[in-house]
Amino acid sequence: MITKEEIQLARECIDFARMEGASAARITLTKSIENLVATLNGEVDKVTRCADRSMSIALFVDGRYGAFSINKLDRTTLKDFIHRAAATVRMLTPDEFRSLPDPARYCTSARTGLEMGLYDVNWETVEPADRTRMALNAAATGRVKDARLVSEEGEYSDSEYDVYLIDSQGLECRHSETSFDYGVEVTIEDESGNKYSDYWWTASPRLADFDPSDCGLTAVKRASGQFGAEPAPSGRYNMVIGAEVSSRLVTPMLNALNANSIQQGNSFLVGSEGKQLFAKGFSLLDEPWREGETGSKLFDSEGVCTVQAPIVKEGVVQHYFVNSYMAAKTGMAPTTDDASRPRLPGWPRDGLDRNSLMKMCGNGILVTDFNGGNCNMTTGDFSYGISGQLFENGKPVRPVHGMLMTGNFLKLWKSFLASGTDFRPCATKLIPSLAFSNVDFSG
Amino acid sequence: MKDRLETFGVSREQIRTIVAEGLKGGNWCDLYFEQTVYNDLLLRDGVVASGGFHLDYGCGIRVLNGEKTGYAYSESTDFTSLMDAARAARSIAGRSSAFGRGNAVAAPSRPYSEQLAWSDADKKQLSKWLEQLETAVRRREPRTQKVIAMLSWSESDIVMYNSLDELSSDSRPLGSVSMTVIFCQGNQTEQRSVSRSLRCGREMLCQSLIEELASDAADGLDDSFAARRPRGGQMSVVMAAGASGILLHEAMGHAFEADFNRKGQSIFCDKMGQRICKRGINIIDDATVPGNRGSLQYDDEGVPGQKTYMVEDGILTSYLHDRISAAFYGVEPTGNGRRESFRYNPIPRMRTTYMESGSDGTLQDLIASVRKGVYVDKFANGEVRIGEGDFTFYVNRGYLIENGRLTQPVKDINIIGNGPQALADIVAVASDLKIDDGTWTCGKEQSVAVSCGIPSVLIKNLTVGGE
Repeated sequence: MITKEEIQLARECIDFARMEGASAARITLTKSIENLVATLNGEVDKVTRCADRSMSIALFVDGRYGAFSINKLDRTTLKDFIHRAAATVRMLTPDEFRSLPDPARYCTSARTGLEMGLYDVNWETVEPADRTRMALNAAATGRVKDARLVSEEGEYSDSEYDVYLIDSQGLECRHSETSFDYGVEVTIEDESGNKYSDYWWTASPRLADFDPSDCGLTAVKRASGQFGAEPAPSGRYNMVIGAEVSSRLVTPMLNALNANSIQQGNSFLVGSEGKQLFAKGFSLLDEPWREGETGSKLFDSEGVCTVQAPIVKEGVVQHYFVNSYMAAKTGMAPTTDDASRPRLPGWPRDGLDRNSLMKMCGNGILVTDFNGGNCNMTTGDFSYGISGQLFENGKPVRPVHGMLMTGNFLKLWKSFLASGTDFRPCATKLIPSLAFSNVDFSG
Repeated sequence: MKDRLETFGVSREQIRTIVAEGLKGGNWCDLYFEQTVYNDLLLRDGVVASGGFHLDYGCGIRVLNGEKTGYAYSESTDFTSLMDAARAARSIAGRSSAFGRGNAVAAPSRPYSEQLAWSDADKKQLSKWLEQLETAVRRREPRTQKVIAMLSWSESDIVMYNSLDELSSDSRPLGSVSMTVIFCQGNQTEQRSVSRSLRCGREMLCQSLIEELASDAADGLDDSFAARRPRGGQMSVVMAAGASGILLHEAMGHAFEADFNRKGQSIFCDKMGQRICKRGINIIDDATVPGNRGSLQYDDEGVPGQKTYMVEDGILTSYLHDRISAAFYGVEPTGNGRRESFRYNPIPRMRTTYMESGSDGTLQDLIASVRKGVYVDKFANGEVRIGEGDFTFYVNRGYLIENGRLTQPVKDINIIGNGPQALADIVAVASDLKIDDGTWTCGKEQSVAVSCGIPSVLIKNLTVGGE
């Protein structure tokens, strides 16, 4: 955890900046420790211990702005660093729109860093032997019967992360969290020697809620579910996308709502605020104040209070993500710099999952993984490689891979049919299984 | 060398002691000291009003016991901190095997130099260069709406020491220019991204680079506005020379990395010595291309940079090795042990990956031989599944080929296939090898600078995604 001495040093850096002529400054001090045990085929393969400290410094000098960072945190080095940073800022072009945020928008409730309940004090009690045990117990090696396991790479890690933010207007806030993570990738062979690979992962901020024991077996099950996969005929299908990958369809929307992209015209959602662009069933909420839940936080990167509010409500875009710079530059009202913990609620009712969505659709393609692809941010056109299952009468009938899903995000979300409530709570974007109609697939 | 160690405040005797501490837990120990200063300037809305610099400093300590790795790092390089890190790294246990010196190439020449050192740069002059770049784009193309351009440069001082008492050092410059331009025509918007990245000094910031980048960004814009998605399906694909080398990197190069083969994951793990593509095809991973983004004097394990033939005359002849895989296979390391920074242990990574020119004529010859297919001019990115060998590449720009001629411009489509199959399906290789100098970054577990290249090639039977 960040020490009192380090906090004092951060405060001194604000003073150093003032002495160098800065009209304003913001210091972001981060500190983290991570312990990792990697396994290969059921044996320990790698052990690492990482300890990081870093200070980021935003400087506002003579109407100009610069951003700097350093990981040598002794007083003498920092003083010289800020001296050189201020000199660099003075060489840049003045920018009248750069300033610290309005202090009235600052977060004042994140004093200890523990407010969100994401720091587990049990983190300090985890011993090297515990890490090894958890890493080995999660592996599928020795527990698999139906397929030949060619390779299994697992990675257990636990970490502590602490961030402390202050600025020259009196901002002071802190966020601390722990995380326990496990991820595994397997490669298996079928009887003909064809290889199939897949993965699974889990995470929790609390040790007591962390259970990776089925991860290896889940990855094997996913890989063996692809035995014999081949492309389905090209055409338009209903699509159900599994909760493990559905955030891939939401992330470009969030990026397109960022004022940085809007201001540059590099967004397919320019001019979308307040408009009914999507199906009425599609809503997207930002819920950053859920104590104890992954992704929750009280402030953004400028120290501004996060907001619990809809991003898209019944198909209507509610707001963009506008930091203080973009607000000044564009005249838009400032919000936060990004979504914190987006959640897509169930529709038309709670309690649905991928199976009920497949039943609802009847026939179509269930997408369980992506392989490459991209989105043109100016038009919203996308094309992604996919794999999954062809389903008929609501039931998977055979695996598919080597197919491309092609379309446009504005059209795709107009063809939104339904959403489940089966999102993975270990993810920072809480996106459940989703169903769409008339999606182009080629194979 | 003495000066370089002094940068990190340690003596030769001290690093010997630290390595001896690490060796209590294994049969190999190495140290990787790094100081990187990264600078950037951002042009947006016509002015360079944002910039900064970032200092990263520390030392990674690795202890190997056979193929097993213990790793720790310290952001302080005082003797006490490094001894603590060595004790943390030696906590790995396992079986032992011998590690060779691996100096397959003696006394490598440095494949980069700075005629004009970045550290002497006048930032106002650099800002002016970026502004001239925007002016050149706007002069060339009046439909220019917005320009964002970033100039970044870094200088990394590296010192490596290992339990064979080998001490090596490297000083790596890297300069990069990236530009995204938004063009508007009526209610249509088109985005172009271009870049250059070289291991050299600021002499790269010349007038000719301004003209090249402006040309790359603006040329062929009418076709981009007219481009459509084609009907999807299986067809022949002609890939343009240069950036299409991403195909080699993603679809083949990763599968040649020795860690994936050592673990049995790669589809090429049982293909060593076998024919995997047509005669005459040579595929190389090279650390010696002068000034190239992927070039290295030494890799991050202190092994000299070198040129490695992976495929010779269509036969798979070598994987890409770090010290662990080289010891496993009983071969010399190939200088492919690379890492993002001192925070990471090295693993086999590519450098500059390319295919040598062939003898099947010109790009025009290849296009003329196709009745129905796609010509790919610019790829954006790609991804591969190592086990299956399946790959997907996103095409920014291209054209339909109909009866041997380029016809309808196409964009925003994917091409999918299988690496070994695509390699076997290369039916023609032109004589126009071009190595691309874009800001290619490989993201296998860690980010490292790479580059790629290829001559124009014709591949039969790839799946093209479309309407």
